[in-house]
Amino acid sequence: MQLLRPESVEAAAAALGNGSVALAGGTDLVPMLRDRLVSAETLVELKEVVPRGVEGTRIGAGTTLAELEVDPEIPAALREACALAASPQLRSMGTIGGNLLQATRCWYWRLDFPCFLHGGSRCHAREGAHREHAIFGNERCASAHPSDPAAALLALGARVRTSRRELGLEELYRLPTEDDRNVTALEPGELILELDVPRPEASVYLKAMDRARWAFPLVGVAAARFADGVRLALAGVAPIPWRLDSETDLDRATPLPGTAYKVELARPLIRRALHSVT
Amino acid sequence: MDVVTSQTIGVEVNGTTYEREVEARRLLIHLLRDDLDLTGSHIGCDTGNCGACSVILDRTLVKSCMVLAIQADGASIETVEGLAGEEQLTPLQQAFSDHHALQCGYCTPGMLMSATALLRENPKPSDEEIAKAIQGNICRCTGYWNIFEAIKAASE
Repeated sequence: MQLLRPESVEAAAAALGNGSVALAGGTDLVPMLRDRLVSAETLVELKEVVPRGVEGTRIGAGTTLAELEVDPEIPAALREACALAASPQLRSMGTIGGNLLQATRCWYWRLDFPCFLHGGSRCHAREGAHREHAIFGNERCASAHPSDPAAALLALGARVRTSRRELGLEELYRLPTEDDRNVTALEPGELILELDVPRPEASVYLKAMDRARWAFPLVGVAAARFADGVRLALAGVAPIPWRLDSETDLDRATPLPGTAYKVELARPLIRRALHSVT
Repeated sequence: MDVVTSQTIGVEVNGTTYEREVEARRLLIHLLRDDLDLTGSHIGCDTGNCGACSVILDRTLVKSCMVLAIQADGASIETVEGLAGEEQLTPLQQAFSDHHALQCGYCTPGMLMSATALLRENPKPSDEEIAKAIQGNICRCTGYWNIFEAIKAASE
């Protein structure tokens, strides 16, 4: 394995693909490299080329979660989601861009079972242990998206500027299909550079977890109130961050036997979140 | 653009400058423990969970099992070995001793680094801020209360 230190976004993007992997904070990538879930001939370090810091409504993808959790200028939902993610040591390394692209915590995937997400034909979690898994979008793969900030940014209607285009956060994520097992629409060599996060009138992020600190979300609920209404998004309930129009959308959930409790966990969280922003 | 499989990196650890040739895949904790013989930072889980390997990297608290050594090139690092002077413990270390804030001692280096980072940023933390500062450190003797008391005492 080798390390590349490109001096421009263009050079970084050109160096990706063909066995090269982008390295930002490393808090997701380093353990996956060690566990051989990701193999890389080359690591492309993004630290010097991806924007970092907050400017107005724009957030550089290289900004760390630790920087965001104390930033009074960003919407509360994003700040709270960052503060509730991981542990202080990881938040001080992990970047918001990397956080949006973090891999699922599904243990079948992490233990390299030949599951649907790894290109196989079945989802082992659907038949096996799946307490932490999905209640929406889980027909082929029942993994749950682990990012708290992603749900917050989805509720906030954030837009993403990449090295190639600008797209809504909703377009960044996709459910894996037979033809394409990726959960994001990023193309090879495409880098997230910046987020544009609209300012809501009020916003909040609430999170249910197995312990009060340092846990991935069982269910995370983000709500953001804008002049034209409230936007809701959930973490930990689908293979990707999941939008809901209202609490009644929970009735359309497709829980597995072991995840049915998440529907009932989400319900009061959504009510509390709506109460908090309205 | 530089391309390297292993490279010579320079780090300053506890005020001493070291140059070492490291492979790109080497973790910072292994550089510290195996190459620099600074075995105070512990490897508890090797998965970013336990915090026993916490060090301060360019004034930022990190888990050194989640950082590649090459990411630390040019950085200034503080480990538990750098806290005390020749004879003198830091007030925080003394408070850990006074308050029996260690049992098996395995988590202690990480706890000390997390608390050191906290008190440097925030010399008078609230109870909640103390608890938050050691969120990422696990004590399997479950001696959290004495650790909390020691940090509180050191902050007063």
